[in-house]
Amino acid sequence: MADKKDSAGLDAVDAGPVSSDVSGEHHAGTEGDASEHASVAALRERFADAVVRHRVYSGGQHVVWIAPEKSHEILAWLRDDPDHRYDMMSDVTAVDYGNGRPVNMVYQMYSMVHKRELRLRCELPLDALEIDSVVDLWKVADWLEREVFDLFGVTFNGHPDLRRILMPADYAEGHPLRKDFPLRGRFSRAEQTRRALNQDVERFYRAEDLSAGHAPQEVAPVEVGTLASDDAEGDA
Amino acid sequence: MGLKDILPGGGTSATTGALFGAGGPTFLTSKVDWIVNWGRRNSLWPMPFGTACCAIEMMASAASNFDLARFGMERMSFSPRQADVLICAGRVPYKLAPVLRRVWDQMPQPKWCISMGACASSGGVFDVYSMVQGIDTIIPVDVYIPGCPPRPEGLIYGLMMIQEKIRQESLSRHFEHRAEDPTLVARPLASDFEVAELSGPFGNSTQQEQLSSGEAV
Repeated sequence: MADKKDSAGLDAVDAGPVSSDVSGEHHAGTEGDASEHASVAALRERFADAVVRHRVYSGGQHVVWIAPEKSHEILAWLRDDPDHRYDMMSDVTAVDYGNGRPVNMVYQMYSMVHKRELRLRCELPLDALEIDSVVDLWKVADWLEREVFDLFGVTFNGHPDLRRILMPADYAEGHPLRKDFPLRGRFSRAEQTRRALNQDVERFYRAEDLSAGHAPQEVAPVEVGTLASDDAEGDA
Repeated sequence: MGLKDILPGGGTSATTGALFGAGGPTFLTSKVDWIVNWGRRNSLWPMPFGTACCAIEMMASAASNFDLARFGMERMSFSPRQADVLICAGRVPYKLAPVLRRVWDQMPQPKWCISMGACASSGGVFDVYSMVQGIDTIIPVDVYIPGCPPRPEGLIYGLMMIQEKIRQESLSRHFEHRAEDPTLVARPLASDFEVAELSGPFGNSTQQEQLSSGEAV
């Protein structure tokens, strides 16, 4: 049974995708109501300057755009504050909308403590594609940020090992998922084949890349009974 | 079934030159080519290089319903050094190209190669920045199997074509066409200019020196 909250933003799904040729800003979804999501309300209150906009997408997915220079501070707070505690970073990715529009960094987070999810976005202008790394907060962001660096060319300040992860290490044609990247690449097929065969295969398999089972990341446990949500569950 | 039954003419005709004593054949003569090719084509060990959905069909071919062992492909050799025929099943990205080349180089002579499926043979639908446009730009290929993916019967037919090819090979001529660098053996008869003009922006061969935008390099 879909109530009002679950069906919010579904109009945009019905409308279908928007062509990247269309210029100007367009954000699908509906204007969000911060009172529906505790973390959004807290962000609005605590980081009022840094919250750019808040939208609700297909079926109640809350998306908050934040200022990139404040991203690390906000994400650290969302991870550590006991009322939010987003201890799982589900995905770090990016979207290029083309036509000179800014590249959007996307952070998809889930709080296993509060059973709540939140998506943060940062708009990075094409001439300043850099943002603070969040590897120090979530180790999982390591390879995800390398993927964004590889395919979109976003530089992550403070990343411990920022190098290409999918494309060959000596790939010289650019960043393939950018809208201005030609489908077949920038070099001719002959040149691509020559470069491919001249790769150093040994470099694919570095010992530190292959070593599995690093020590798990420690996230401070939450004491039972200290959360606001604990009382709510007790009442129910 | 003894050797006598499978030799041409049942081992009794004059073509084999076999002599028979009272208790059966004591010795026989044959062509070295024939004996060697008979052994080779009936004990082909595949090196499976499966990268995509074609590999699922390749596994089905080896399983009990289709049973490649009937053709002497008794053992999938996961070491290239004990393999005779490389089966490249699936798409190969440029990053994997030197790996495929090295696996091929590690296989001992004599060796054969099967390109299984549309992606391995031509790049298939993946005419994009990251994909090898046919593994014959990396290594020499003996048999191309069309299909997306081919059914196990297709792979078996391809392997039987390899067997037929081996049957017609001769020890004295075997290495002639086995040059290692496909860019040397696979030169087209047409000139570079004609290749570029014909392939245009959609060309996908190693000889294509044009950018995808159509301008020459």
